[in-house]
Amino acid sequence: MKVVVIRTNLRDGLNAIEAAAGENQALPILRNALIEASEGKLKLATTNLEIGASYTVAGKVLEDGRATAPIATLLGIMNNIQSDRLNLESKGASVEITSDNYHATLQGMPAEDFPLIPKVKNQTEYVSVKSEILKESLAQVVLATQTSDLRPELNSVLFDFSIDTLRFAATDSFRLAEKVLAVTEIESTCEEGFRVLVPLKTVHEILRVLRGDELVKVFRDENQVLFKTNQFELISRLLEGNFPDYGAIVPKKFGAEILVERQEFVNALKLASVFGNKSNEVKILVPPGKKALQVSSADQAVGENSYLLPAKVEGKLGETVFNWRYLLDALKAVKTGEVFFGVNDEGQPALLRGAKEGSYFYILKPILKA
Amino acid sequence: MDLDQLWKLTLGEIEIQLSRANFATWLKSSRLVDRKDGGTFVVSLPNNFAREWVENKYQKNILGIIRNFDGSARKIEFVVTGNFQAEAPAAKKISAPDLSKFDRIELEFKVDPETNLNPRYSMKSFVVGPSNELAYAGATAIVNEIGLKYNPFFIYGGVGLGKTHLIQAVGNEIRSRYQNKVRPRYVSSEKFISDVVWGIRNKRMEDTKKKYRDVDVLIIDDIQFIGGKEKTEEEFFHTFNSLYEANKQIIISSDRPPQSIPTLEERLRSRFEGGLIVDIGYPEYEMRVAIIRGRLQEASRQLSDEVVDLIARRVKKNIRELEGVLNKILFYQEKKQADITGKVAEEIIDKSIQNAARRITDTQVLKAVAEFFNISLGDLVSHNRRKEVVEPRQIAMYLLRDMLEMSYPGVGEKMGRDHTTAIHSYEKINQEINRNSALSQKIMLIRETIYKS
Repeated sequence: MKVVVIRTNLRDGLNAIEAAAGENQALPILRNALIEASEGKLKLATTNLEIGASYTVAGKVLEDGRATAPIATLLGIMNNIQSDRLNLESKGASVEITSDNYHATLQGMPAEDFPLIPKVKNQTEYVSVKSEILKESLAQVVLATQTSDLRPELNSVLFDFSIDTLRFAATDSFRLAEKVLAVTEIESTCEEGFRVLVPLKTVHEILRVLRGDELVKVFRDENQVLFKTNQFELISRLLEGNFPDYGAIVPKKFGAEILVERQEFVNALKLASVFGNKSNEVKILVPPGKKALQVSSADQAVGENSYLLPAKVEGKLGETVFNWRYLLDALKAVKTGEVFFGVNDEGQPALLRGAKEGSYFYILKPILKA
Repeated sequence: MDLDQLWKLTLGEIEIQLSRANFATWLKSSRLVDRKDGGTFVVSLPNNFAREWVENKYQKNILGIIRNFDGSARKIEFVVTGNFQAEAPAAKKISAPDLSKFDRIELEFKVDPETNLNPRYSMKSFVVGPSNELAYAGATAIVNEIGLKYNPFFIYGGVGLGKTHLIQAVGNEIRSRYQNKVRPRYVSSEKFISDVVWGIRNKRMEDTKKKYRDVDVLIIDDIQFIGGKEKTEEEFFHTFNSLYEANKQIIISSDRPPQSIPTLEERLRSRFEGGLIVDIGYPEYEMRVAIIRGRLQEASRQLSDEVVDLIARRVKKNIRELEGVLNKILFYQEKKQADITGKVAEEIIDKSIQNAARRITDTQVLKAVAEFFNISLGDLVSHNRRKEVVEPRQIAMYLLRDMLEMSYPGVGEKMGRDHTTAIHSYEKINQEINRNSALSQKIMLIRETIYKS
């Protein structure tokens, strides 16, 4: 193998696939990246046997071939070297990197030993979304999760595709967020709908790597999912198990429907957090006869405070207690200026969404009181 | 040859051909799962990576080896194991809403920080029977007339009989009935002690005092633990007095009556005795059945009458244990999706309670007594009448009778004595125990070592 490549291209490629490399005592080659030169392209790949990532880098291929080298060392070189043009050449199991004033030999391992990254069987059916839209949508639902060993099926994001909509949902059983992408935002060649659970780790990788407005195609078969852009590919297993059928717990009616400025609400919660006690409790109340929302918190050791923020209120709301972190998470996801906050008494879930938005909602349960 | 055996042989041969790392990574959790018509063998592998690798690299080898053992082999297919397991649950109820989980996890958040009360305990869910109706009546009277009728209200009874339930329920009831006009506060004596220690250490005793004197109903659980901690006792004494004089209600629970808490100071003891002292006894059979039925209804689950009867008959002395057994049975029912028969229930009960009661033997009792008084086993059963062995001997006989329910002649035989001696010893200690607190404490300690051994 012999290639000439621009340093920044190689660096970006390695950065994108770095996290998919594995640490495995039995199989040390997982610490390496596979470098594959063929058909005028340079392809980099890593895997930890749960997910596999690959990235195609532009470069000039002088001689086809394959090699592997430790990705940490490769990245170390890319981050510090000054030269722009690099020559990569494999000699036996080792890889040599040369520029006009630099030379390195990396101890590699035979490329034949590198795991084969599986392929998705169904290569024709996919759903495609713009990177930034996919990224934003996933970010909005992922903040309702929390890794848990108790219910592994919740360490995932639900991708629910049905002909004209793609729905994302995630929950940690205290709160749940759902985002729907409408038909205008997606393109699909799928003949039928699907409902799959993508592991959280995979989603975090997607969030980390994707950027720009290029199209991401999502392929899947019975136990794998593949995210593919022009340069980048990420394949992952799917989680087994059933995502809770949450339709029934999404509240339809509210005791109080509140419209409030998002930024003010955020400020109020941050103020409340100053007095937040261990369980992160914040009390929310609509004082009778006032057009305002009272946000208060207290701690026996610190003291107490309360904050009145102007709000449009329909209905009544007695004191209801929430976890302010959960509320703040919701406000991070709701990006509009005005926020709709529907609350019910008696421990029924509350719902947050943008005032004029229907594509996203976040529900959370109040903390029950005696 | 069955599939497992065939696969074992095959793996044995492949293992020699591969490096240990490769074998461990790719083939360790593989299985031969099916032999289809036409000589197709199906191998399951743990993940897609393994399938990709084995399919591409070892397929021929594996086929060759299998063919050596089974001439009909023509082809090998690989599947990922996950699929096999997924098929069953995936087909099942996708639509069942998972609301219960939503509720369940949140229970931990529910303790009210202001009153420290856990709303799970309510008067309604307290099952009343002859053994605790006096305590219950006292509790209801208190809710109606806070601080006036029975003050202090002292409840005692054994472990797991509902003391904490009842006193917390009083707090919850008061809170819901008088809204925020009456402030109850529940505290375990351990928390009280640590607050006093905190106050002393940080020189902020005033804060601690205020925290406890600023309530309308003070509920203290397991008061026996403050015995012997002088400063805490003193602080409690003053708190007690200041609340008492202001006609605030005080509710106390303990595992034994005030006169049997040996390290408790006299002035505290007499204060406790000034109010109403009630005990909670062991629940009767009917009550145990009622408790089980109540819990089942709460969890909206069902068990056959036979099983309910069985649990109620077998678990007698501790309601917490009763609920523990019930939970285990319900868990089993949920897990296996199977009906619980009397036999299954019996097994579960056996497993859960044998540790507590069954293992105590007479030798264990004698050993514990001998060890406690630092005398030899021989001394204990000898005819020596020195003072330092006479008392231990009588205690040993008392415990044999009391804990193991041995007959008097049995006790006598064990100790090399006449049954009349056994009767005398038992009765003597039995009387003494109520008068002599040092003795009752000794016996309690011995009991503990026996249970622990």
